[in-house]
Amino acid sequence: MKNEYELVVDVLEGNQGSFEILLQPYRKGILNMAYRMTGNLEEAKEVCQETLIKIYRHLDKFKKEKSLKNWIYTITMNSTYDYLREKKKYKDLVEKQKSLPVDTGLDPEKKLVNKEIKEKIDTCLQTLSPKEKSVFLLRDGEGFSVKETSKILGCSSMSVRTHLSRARQKIRTQFEKIYPFRYGEVKQ
Amino acid sequence: MNCKKIRRLLPLMMGPEIPHAKVAAVNAHLEKCPECRREYDAYVLSLEKTKEWLKEDSKDWEDREWQAVLQGAKKEKAPKASHLVPWPFKKIWAYALMAVCVVVLTLLVVRPSFIEEGTGAGERMLAQQEVISMTLVSQETGLKIVWFFNKNFELKEIEE
Repeated sequence: MKNEYELVVDVLEGNQGSFEILLQPYRKGILNMAYRMTGNLEEAKEVCQETLIKIYRHLDKFKKEKSLKNWIYTITMNSTYDYLREKKKYKDLVEKQKSLPVDTGLDPEKKLVNKEIKEKIDTCLQTLSPKEKSVFLLRDGEGFSVKETSKILGCSSMSVRTHLSRARQKIRTQFEKIYPFRYGEVKQ
Repeated sequence: MNCKKIRRLLPLMMGPEIPHAKVAAVNAHLEKCPECRREYDAYVLSLEKTKEWLKEDSKDWEDREWQAVLQGAKKEKAPKASHLVPWPFKKIWAYALMAVCVVVLTLLVVRPSFIEEGTGAGERMLAQQEVISMTLVSQETGLKIVWFFNKNFELKEIEE
């Protein structure tokens, strides 16, 4: 079983089959990250297409001592920001998230459950700024450490902590709208 | 720490974001302050639930779509292998080559000035001269006295 770096070398030597093996562990992660950031599955897939192109094109710049996962997520986040910037979606991001339906091809009952969950997530994430959202999704969604998150987003650890704190505060406030009862009672 | 300070730290209590000493202080406070405890529980619950929902609502590619996206990426210009193919001594050799160049340049440019006999430029200049003169000028009277020496710095008599 080849490690990630050997797979990278394989791809660069012309073995394109290794590209798929290399990206297999991250295919879901990058899609979900782009999906949460754009709020729409089709747009997320567009972002991922762009991300994969960049990964393939710049694979020779990947350094052995770096983490491939971090590198892939950095490219994903940059592509997402580029996409959002290009389409000028920062301002109406929240509205889009609310209005755009996602066709998942599931049966109606499951669709309803999924819709409910998506609405809850949207409620929780809608007040977050793009930076807070990306910090929250990387740290709490994908499980990256503060240091890794700061490297991926190209900011300081202090900035990550600040944004993470604000994001959790906002989520906690929004969560209260979904479950408008006292937390003391929820725990019992 | 008072409740205000504790509540500022609560959002970061769910992970290793704050130092152990502070975590211990916050935990000690939570033991005796039910209001802050409730606030902390609210954070924990909201975070756990949000994570749960994110997991439940996670998306995946259909294989057909994934293959299409991969093929799309591969159509792009292939990256150059030469940049990445690891050669661990690449840098060392580059530095060694630079060092050799510096040494050669030093030998070519600096060395010839030392090849000449003697150590200093002044001495070399003196050695080349047949007659050396030394002039003293009096500031008061303006009288000039000129001495002439031969190569061995012996006073040379000049017949006028």
